[in-house]
Amino acid sequence: MNERIEYLKEKMLGEERYASIEQARIITRVYQENEDRSTARKRALSLKAALEEMEIVIDPMERIVGNRTKGVRAGVVFPESGCSWVNREFEDLPTRPQDRFQVRQEDIREFRESIYPYWQNRSMEEKIRREYGKEIQAISRVVKINQTDHAQGHICPDVELWLKKGPALIRQEAKSRIYLSEGSEREFYECMVLTLDGAITFMHRYANLADRMSADHPECSENLKEIAHCCRGLAHRPAQSFREALQSLWFLFVILHMESNASSFSPGRMDQYLISYYRNDIRSGALDEEEALELMECLWLKFNQIVYLRNRGSAKYFAGFPIGFNIAVGGVDSEGNDTCNEISFLCLKAQEELGLPQPNLSVRLNRNTSHELMQKAIAVVAKGSGMPQFFNDEAIIHSMMEDLGVSERDARNYAIVGCVELTSSGNCLGWSDAAMFNLCKALELALNHGVDEITGERLCEDYGGLDTCASFEELEKVFLKIVDFYIDEMMKAEEKVEKAHQECLPSAFLSAVVHDCMEKGLDVTKGGAHYNFSGIQMIQIANLADSLEAVRKLVFEEKEIDAGQLLDALRKDFRGYEVLQARLLNKAPKYGNDIREVDELGAKYAEYFRKRMKEYTNYRGGLVHTGMYTVSAHVPMGENVGASADGRNAGMPLADGGMSPSFGRDMNGPTAVLKSVSRLPDSLTTNGGLLNMKFLPEFFDTEEGREKFESFLRAFTDLRIPHIQFNVVRKEDLLNAKAHPDQYRSLTVRVAGYTAYFVELDGKIQDEIIERTSYDRI
Amino acid sequence: MTGSETALVFDIKRFAVHDGAGIRTTVFFKGCPLRCRWCQNPEGLEESQRPVFFQSRCIHCGSCLKVADPEQEKWENNGPVWNFKWRGDWNRAVHACPTGALAMDSRRYTVSELMEKIREDRVFFRENGGVTFSGGEPLLQNAFLTAVLKQCRKEGIHTAVETSLSVSSEAVRNTVPYLDQIFADFKLFDGDQHRKHTGMDNTQITENIRFLLESDHRDAVTVRTPLIPGITADYDNIQKIAHMISSLYPEVKYELLNYNTLAPAKYPMTGKTYPLMDTLARFSEKEMDRFYQAASDGGVRNTVREEKASV
Repeated sequence: MNERIEYLKEKMLGEERYASIEQARIITRVYQENEDRSTARKRALSLKAALEEMEIVIDPMERIVGNRTKGVRAGVVFPESGCSWVNREFEDLPTRPQDRFQVRQEDIREFRESIYPYWQNRSMEEKIRREYGKEIQAISRVVKINQTDHAQGHICPDVELWLKKGPALIRQEAKSRIYLSEGSEREFYECMVLTLDGAITFMHRYANLADRMSADHPECSENLKEIAHCCRGLAHRPAQSFREALQSLWFLFVILHMESNASSFSPGRMDQYLISYYRNDIRSGALDEEEALELMECLWLKFNQIVYLRNRGSAKYFAGFPIGFNIAVGGVDSEGNDTCNEISFLCLKAQEELGLPQPNLSVRLNRNTSHELMQKAIAVVAKGSGMPQFFNDEAIIHSMMEDLGVSERDARNYAIVGCVELTSSGNCLGWSDAAMFNLCKALELALNHGVDEITGERLCEDYGGLDTCASFEELEKVFLKIVDFYIDEMMKAEEKVEKAHQECLPSAFLSAVVHDCMEKGLDVTKGGAHYNFSGIQMIQIANLADSLEAVRKLVFEEKEIDAGQLLDALRKDFRGYEVLQARLLNKAPKYGNDIREVDELGAKYAEYFRKRMKEYTNYRGGLVHTGMYTVSAHVPMGENVGASADGRNAGMPLADGGMSPSFGRDMNGPTAVLKSVSRLPDSLTTNGGLLNMKFLPEFFDTEEGREKFESFLRAFTDLRIPHIQFNVVRKEDLLNAKAHPDQYRSLTVRVAGYTAYFVELDGKIQDEIIERTSYDRI
Repeated sequence: MTGSETALVFDIKRFAVHDGAGIRTTVFFKGCPLRCRWCQNPEGLEESQRPVFFQSRCIHCGSCLKVADPEQEKWENNGPVWNFKWRGDWNRAVHACPTGALAMDSRRYTVSELMEKIREDRVFFRENGGVTFSGGEPLLQNAFLTAVLKQCRKEGIHTAVETSLSVSSEAVRNTVPYLDQIFADFKLFDGDQHRKHTGMDNTQITENIRFLLESDHRDAVTVRTPLIPGITADYDNIQKIAHMISSLYPEVKYELLNYNTLAPAKYPMTGKTYPLMDTLARFSEKEMDRFYQAASDGGVRNTVREEKASV
């Protein structure tokens, strides 16, 4: 990291985060001035106005410019999607437990006086609440319906198209289509032109500002002149150099965020579409590797300047401002051959040096991934930022084709949106974060006659319970009835939510960079994309499998535990039943230990769920499918689940990740975990799966260790597991493990001659290991 | 060999990354003829199945007390105190324990059962990983081990063994043809010292080393000396060992293992006490340099030394 980057990084991290109402003010005004126009036109006009009016700044040291607010990392209040939660929570933003923002008192006042009153009955959030709020609330303990107060996002635009054409040429195409169309189609193209006009103005404004500033900053005037030249050029023609490509890319993402204020627009396969710019500049001598890295790191900093303001509840589910600029490097090309290039390594290098939370860097692996890329990626993992995460071409491509009907070419070109959600590049609205289905809560209701174990409320019909089922098979039937009931309710709600998005949040600019919207003359929210999916997350396979297996084995097969007693124990959160709880924990096999029976038990119900999804078509006419990831939702979703038969106490977190075993239950090491996870069919995770693992830093200390890690990753590839990411165990983890051994039962450490479970070691030995596991060492 | 042989195994460690090349599965066999005072696997010494008690897992529920023999268990300070010398049926108490704090230290495997366990991580072995047999003394259960080794060879699984060589020469001759890598301990050159600290003299061991280093398999052998302060960690001892093995085979690989300060860790669960002082320290890099110098002075050209952290 050179001086410029270091300076920019420190400055960015030092700046306070504020909630911003600037764009909300503009949007509200434009809506009020255009009351009689359609929502689509109001949306386009208000984006155009924001692009023309929002205050912009340039740091004379930065080489890539642009942001959607004056301050960096601001939380943007966005009234069209929803702001009644802002009204409720505005004052709490600086003090809430997760993802805090500073607020200005005058902003709160203005928001309450002139912004919020206008939107009270107009925002999408309000509309959904009015029309279907009660129903969504009624199922909320089992199903969390997402996207009810913000735009969907989670999309990988066609960046290549944007780089090759730029706003001016795309505008030209839209313009030419206006005269050949009529009605809503005609208006769609007109709106697109309006937003692209805004985009062009936006770029000119940066060019003009840079020009103006260069006189006041003689020490940076060369850089500012280059910025001016670059922005002005991009306003009317395609990108011509590596630097221009990066600047153009960044403008695209800033504008997408200004239009949608949504989580996750993905740059996708950056190494594939940037390589020609890079090689041309290197060949001509206009660029060297050092400068390319500096430019890349400037862009990397930009990815950290847009964060996402979520409501209090949502911040808990998605903690840490994840905004999901997901970049995927490596992977196969359209012919199926492995492809990685100088840009792949440049991306890894930038991540290695900066270690910031964004972008969300992903490496695509396949059987032919080069040793060099593997080793570089492993070196970055060793740094401990949790990145890059790894995706597996061998698991993903075939299931996209077989289960979703994606063409071979598109499947091979998959990218990642958000955290781990899968998408084709530039032509898909995956609606990947549609809902989270809490299978563990459904099981609780099945055991407990449809009654909430925590509150005692009846949540659904009494289909039976653990104490009335004569066999495990009977219990399975009750469980599936409950799952069925909630699936039906969930899909009804999904339709309402998608409909509200179409009505409230048509997105003309986004549609300009997603195929086939332009060709079809159809907005992306209305089904304009080539692929239209909806993704439901199944939560959480580990707890579900472990609980069912404990009931099957200990209650029905071995009759060690009486059904009535178990129910009573669960209702009492094991108070007075500590021995029974210990039995549940220790005397029934657990998912994640390479034990076929229990692994397949979890998969069986997930497969049932996946099959049920095939019966539905979403509101855009596309397929509904499933994923297995939670981000941080395993914590709040666990709060809502009573004591479970896997021995877990009421309210404790569920297993993390999505495909990971429960905390501390994987006692046979990392290879057994991969074997267990590999028993989940790929079709369950076409929307994305998430597997978390922890390794000790000493593992990465030696070349031998890194070689073994590569073997591990290659086996991961062969086992066709869709995803894996690694955390490096830190000193604090070990201190925690010493204090809370029950949560770290499976943590193993190398005790010189052998490997042992950390929590079973003597305190003195633990201290010695803690001492030697210094994170700073790597 | 009928295939009906069984062996007692006290642990199968998957993802063993410090017992040879690549990702390995290490199988620990019960039973050892030696009683080295620095042994780090005390549960591997006896040849029969024995109970172990993990204090940290005990929730003091008293479930064991309801089924235990009074000779077997006493209840003191709100917890069980086990008489590990008791020779009755431990299974009742083990079954009664809900946490697994009380457990048997090993289980019996047939050849095909053990092969199944080994195959579990086949996909991780890749080109250079495989299975390592350790213990206890793995060569002690010779017929069983040979059967497993033959099967591994048939399936292309790389095999390694960690042995004290304190076994009959026949046992060595039987297994060697099927081993890809042999880590052979040579602890003390002096026979009396050897008897004093391990319970047996080293006649058999030196004979086996001679056989190995004169055989066609000598390139698969790494001789190892664990460095125990005041016992084996001695310039003279190392130089003499080095001299002997390099005279047998000038290209012999020789490795010195630094003292394992955590060796006492497993003693409490077996109800035994670590015979040495538990305050002994590891040797510094400088001291290790000196011991490796002794190896070179003794004539060894190929010393093996643990890779230092490169980052």
